[in-house]
Amino acid sequence: MNSMMIIARSEFLRRATSKVFIITTLLAPIGLIVFIAITVLASIATIGGDDPLTIAVVDETGFVLDRILEEEFEHTLVRAGVAAARDGVLTGRYDGYVTIPSGVATGEESVSYYALEGEGYGAVGDLRRSIRTAVRDHRIEEAGISEDVLDIVNTRVFVESVRLSPARPSAEESSTEAYPEQGGFGLGMTMGLLIYMGMLVYSSVLMQGIIAEKQTRIVEIILSSARPFNLLMGKVLGIGATGLVQLMAWVLILLAITTFGGMIVVTFFDPALLGAETATSTEELLAAADISLPTLRFGMLVWCILFFLGGFLLYAGLFAAIGSMVEQPQDAQGFMLPVMLPLIASLMFMAAVLESPNSSLAVILSMIPFTAPVSMIMRMAATNVPFWEVLASYMLMVAGFTTTMWVASRIYRVGILMYGKKASVRDAIRWFRHA
Amino acid sequence: MSVLSIRGATKRYGKVTAVNEVSFDAKPGRILGFLGPNGAGKTSTIRMIADITAPDEGEVLFDGRPVGPWSQKVMGYLPEERGLYRKLKVSSQLLYLAALKGVPRAEAKQKMQYWARRFGMERWLSHKTQELSKGMQQKVQFIAAILPEPRLLILDEPFGGLDPINSELLREIIREFKEAGRTILFASHRMEQVEQLCDDICLIARGKVLVHGGLREVKASYGRNTLLLDFAGDGTFLAPFERAGAIEIKTRSAHRAEMRVRDTTAPRAILEAMLDQAIQVYRYELAEPSLAEIFISEVERS
Repeated sequence: MNSMMIIARSEFLRRATSKVFIITTLLAPIGLIVFIAITVLASIATIGGDDPLTIAVVDETGFVLDRILEEEFEHTLVRAGVAAARDGVLTGRYDGYVTIPSGVATGEESVSYYALEGEGYGAVGDLRRSIRTAVRDHRIEEAGISEDVLDIVNTRVFVESVRLSPARPSAEESSTEAYPEQGGFGLGMTMGLLIYMGMLVYSSVLMQGIIAEKQTRIVEIILSSARPFNLLMGKVLGIGATGLVQLMAWVLILLAITTFGGMIVVTFFDPALLGAETATSTEELLAAADISLPTLRFGMLVWCILFFLGGFLLYAGLFAAIGSMVEQPQDAQGFMLPVMLPLIASLMFMAAVLESPNSSLAVILSMIPFTAPVSMIMRMAATNVPFWEVLASYMLMVAGFTTTMWVASRIYRVGILMYGKKASVRDAIRWFRHA
Repeated sequence: MSVLSIRGATKRYGKVTAVNEVSFDAKPGRILGFLGPNGAGKTSTIRMIADITAPDEGEVLFDGRPVGPWSQKVMGYLPEERGLYRKLKVSSQLLYLAALKGVPRAEAKQKMQYWARRFGMERWLSHKTQELSKGMQQKVQFIAAILPEPRLLILDEPFGGLDPINSELLREIIREFKEAGRTILFASHRMEQVEQLCDDICLIARGKVLVHGGLREVKASYGRNTLLLDFAGDGTFLAPFERAGAIEIKTRSAHRAEMRVRDTTAPRAILEAMLDQAIQVYRYELAEPSLAEIFISEVERS
């Protein structure tokens, strides 16, 4: 086996079998699931309310309360006069009271709900829905409208947004690529963040590894068996492979969440709460709850991995050069800022790129190799980026990482054996010319 | 026939010339002591031999061919500044370094067991390196250097930090390597160790070779110019000789003196004076200079 592959294999195995790696690989998606679950549970809490409340009702219409009481209602409703209701709330007998003026029946007045500060608001949503239904049903009956007209009024229209692609006939698109706007935003954000994290974390891991080898001086022993270039590339490949495995594991788990996530979410809901039939399908239920989960496409996954790899190689070169210039991890700080700037920029423009993925800012960011990995993936999630643009961006990236790697290897082979004083940028330039 | 031969090697770092037209040879079945004060260019020279850096001028030949990746496979190197991967298990560490030298895994495992047994550290193989004592880590590094059974073994201060028992074990193994016809380059400041072990020496200072040759020949070339005395009495008999510049006293204690003789007639006159004035004479020896003395005088003169 070539020394580069021996080094890559060792670097990969050392890291991929470490406890930290296994824990973060498995726990991060579990954390994501827990996060989603908490969000869902929180929304259920606001929909469903918690304990049943006792509420006094001052009904001037003479029909609303009766109609509500005909149905099943979660909270206990007590008919009362204004004075008694008010008194009851103040003494704690009632959690709150509601006044329904007679004008509510004709839509001229509005319902008021009274409760002590911070208490008894859980029932407001339920009351609103029930009163609205009671008033509507009452008025429909009064007006003598027929069932047919009711059906027409109640017709619901779903709008499905479909991304147009000139490459394929539109009939096919509508069946395979129904695309929720909100999902694209969330997906782009998730993918962009994953790539950002992946590039940053694994480039730093590489840099720490290089500094540690220099600090412990093991590098001298390794270099008596391998070329500096092979050592550097072996480390880059091994650590890159570790990152790739982690990213792929996360993407697969994410894929599983988007595929089966609907079912997970649905298990938390009681369909009745959303006013839907118990037997409705997962999709209808999610639509009723106004939750849209993004769908991942295979081509997108491949580009996600390619852009991660390209971006990692690009930044790995820069971080490796810094690592070879210092003896202590803390000495690297000063060099890090300029290198981190483009990475931070791609985060800063994240929302802008996702909102208008075809603006000239977004296009430029997705073409510059330093910002392309994050920006291009986000554009691809948000809109249909022409293939030639993706390809051009990637070609520029290949040129970019070839350059950073070449520069880094020249600085590295000299820097890695230099001890004593902290190197300056000027030293690095001299090493680069000399090597 | 030399295995290793350095021909006019020069290495510059910026404006500093670390190694300046250095030439010397190392022969199979012999131990070459590579000596020099701090900053003499020893490490720079060794790095060129190990093909870690390339000379700016001149060449380093192994078996008559310029060194390169091919020669790295048959060289073992124990640097003075030593390190290991702190979080890696000792066994993983040794197998990794052996793999880089091209030793097949099964063979490397076997050899690792053999050497671990000899150094009495089998039970440490499964431990992380950072759990080992400094001396223990040093043994790991030494095993890493000798495990691939290199034809050229470069040892830079191998005894530093080792206790006498382990030092003796190391010496024994170095001798075994020598008897097996391997070439050993032994860099050190410790003159008595070099004197005990080496067959040849190469002394460099400020990037230049000062002395190179067989240890015996080098010492003989300085002649029997060192006088060692052990006696009872006050030793005032030496004073006139010193005043006259016939001798130069190197070390002096109550009943003992070591001096370099400048005037060839002085030894006889000193013996007569001592017999005449000292209460008792225990030792009178006209000897070759010690390596330490050659080292100091050569470095001072250069």
